[in-house]
Amino acid sequence: MKFLKLATNNILRHKIRSFLALFGVSISIALTFSILSFNKGFEKNLAKELEGTGLHFMIVSSGCPHEVASLVLHSSVLPKYLDITLIEKLKQYPNLKLISPMLVSQLPNHQKNRIDIIYALDISHLPQLKPFLKIKGTLPSNEKEILIGYEIANHDKLTIGDIVKYGPNQKDFKVSGIIEKTGGQEDAHVYMFLSALQEILNKPQGISAIGIKLSTTEMLEKTIEQISREIPGIQIVTMGQVLNSILNLANSAKILSLSIAIIAITISFLGVMNLILMAIFERTQEIGMMRAIGASKWDIFKIIFNETLLITTGGGLIGILITTIASTTIEHFLRIFMPYMPSGKILVFDYNIAFFCILSSMIIGAMSGLFPAWKATKISPIEAIKG
Amino acid sequence: MIEIKELEKYYLRGAEKVHALKGISLYIPRGDFISITGPSGTGKTTLLQIIGCLDRPSRGSVSLNGIKIENMTEKELLQIRRQKIGFVFQNFYLINGLSVLDNVLLPTIFARKEKKRKDVLPLLQKVGLLERADHKPNQLSGGEMQRVAIARALINEPEILLADEPTGNLDLDNSERIFELFRFLNSQGLTTIVVTHNPELASKTKRVIKLKDGKVEH
Ligand SMILES: Nc1ncnc2c1ncn2[C@@H]1O[C@H](COP(=O)(O)OP(=O)(O)OP(=O)(O)O)[C@@H](O)[C@H]1O
Ligand SMILES: [Mg+2]
Repeated sequence: MKFLKLATNNILRHKIRSFLALFGVSISIALTFSILSFNKGFEKNLAKELEGTGLHFMIVSSGCPHEVASLVLHSSVLPKYLDITLIEKLKQYPNLKLISPMLVSQLPNHQKNRIDIIYALDISHLPQLKPFLKIKGTLPSNEKEILIGYEIANHDKLTIGDIVKYGPNQKDFKVSGIIEKTGGQEDAHVYMFLSALQEILNKPQGISAIGIKLSTTEMLEKTIEQISREIPGIQIVTMGQVLNSILNLANSAKILSLSIAIIAITISFLGVMNLILMAIFERTQEIGMMRAIGASKWDIFKIIFNETLLITTGGGLIGILITTIASTTIEHFLRIFMPYMPSGKILVFDYNIAFFCILSSMIIGAMSGLFPAWKATKISPIEAIKG
Repeated sequence: MIEIKELEKYYLRGAEKVHALKGISLYIPRGDFISITGPSGTGKTTLLQIIGCLDRPSRGSVSLNGIKIENMTEKELLQIRRQKIGFVFQNFYLINGLSVLDNVLLPTIFARKEKKRKDVLPLLQKVGLLERADHKPNQLSGGEMQRVAIARALINEPEILLADEPTGNLDLDNSERIFELFRFLNSQGLTTIVVTHNPELASKTKRVIKLKDGKVEH
């Protein structure tokens, strides 16, 4: 016979009630665990994705809202165009290793009655800018070919060699390749030659942004300063700014989700406290009996405290288990709330976060157990005899 | 050996002072077997509580083996309860869900004594429930539950067994068995004090103490 056995038995005496309290804790910890894991994965994947491009900064037309400009890699359509001749000017700067113009637009897809996001660029740059892409088939080799994202292919049942029509003249585009599922925006993109989209939009000189890669990063600030001074009408956004802007945009969703987690934790905390208070109330005489046959106040405190800790820690562990098992489903669900998603699996098991969550559930246990356990120590041994 | 001198006990019920014991003197030698009887509200339970170190005298003195309990700290009273006293209650208070064996072992976790199944079995044999060790309380009859509770009271080898109306919830047959058991335990040297309303049962003890209005009736 041990204190722990006594506490376990007490929990099992009211299975449904205990289960409900435990379930409440599980849910709140599962929520917290997935939200924290998600946030961490989100930042990590985003940073990795931006780093993966190898770009150091982006050039957009001045007057473009900063946030929107940041999202050019994530297919936001900019309201203002740069002129392609800018490329020639930029080539004068010896430090620029890669100058990659891109044009992003939304085009109606009349066959499917839908707007498609078209991402046009120098296709040869694509493997550099999005090195994580895995492609079935080949990259477009000419203006009449396109590369499509996983979801588009899947949804429209398109395979390599199929034809999609875009533009006022309903020009034919042949699918040369399909991108394997990334979980990010790429899944819903159509990639084509820059000149092809310029023609459709009737903007033969237009581009949305230019991605720049430097040969050495030491010159980053100087180069930015020099370019901004010498070329009017442009705006430079560094990748750090891009990262921050996207994180800012995601922030409100983050705060909202964390508030939900905190509310869930509070409710589960009250649920456990209520359960334990009720149990003590019902067991007043039994606790009095234990005091009479030799239990100290501290012994009673321990029994009650163990009960709460068992419930909340058990709930926490189950919550983490649920999250781990159902991570794919939860990720899918959370993606609905998050405005901009980097590609890749975001909800990965993180030991630190798991540890933090277990610790939180133990703290919930301690907090919700403290008052009832203290109250239980006030029960007099005489209660048992009074009967 | 229990020595009670001029014991008085007041309770405060709001502003009202309830005089539950009004000067009781008693000498209970080691190995005695006494019953305490008397009408309701005369202080039987109060007396038992004080002997059992659950409560303290308001005035007068109670000494167990020469040690006065009125001078003891809360901690010392607890130690006496753990080591010297076994309690049996009218309502048994077995813990549901725990086996008979674990119920009997309950006081050992508070007394920090390591005891095992093999320590419990002889006790269960004594109370005639050897084959019930692994049953749960809800599988037992009232009489059986009270006998488990008696085994529980004995697990820490107390010197004094205190029972407050232990047969109050039992039929006559079972009540008599319980008193038989008390007599047997007393014959092995256990000082036994039982509160009962039943004069017939009381007459089975060596001595009957009648309380009336907080005093011993002579
Ligand atoms: N905790 C308490 N607070 C106030 N009054 C109490 C308390 N305990 C007992 N009393 C009072 O003290 C008196 C003696 O009570 P006690 O319980 O000792 O009587 P009893 O002889 O055991 O009665 P019964 O046969 O009904 O069990 C009663 O008047 C009772 O109301
Ligand atoms: Mg009484």
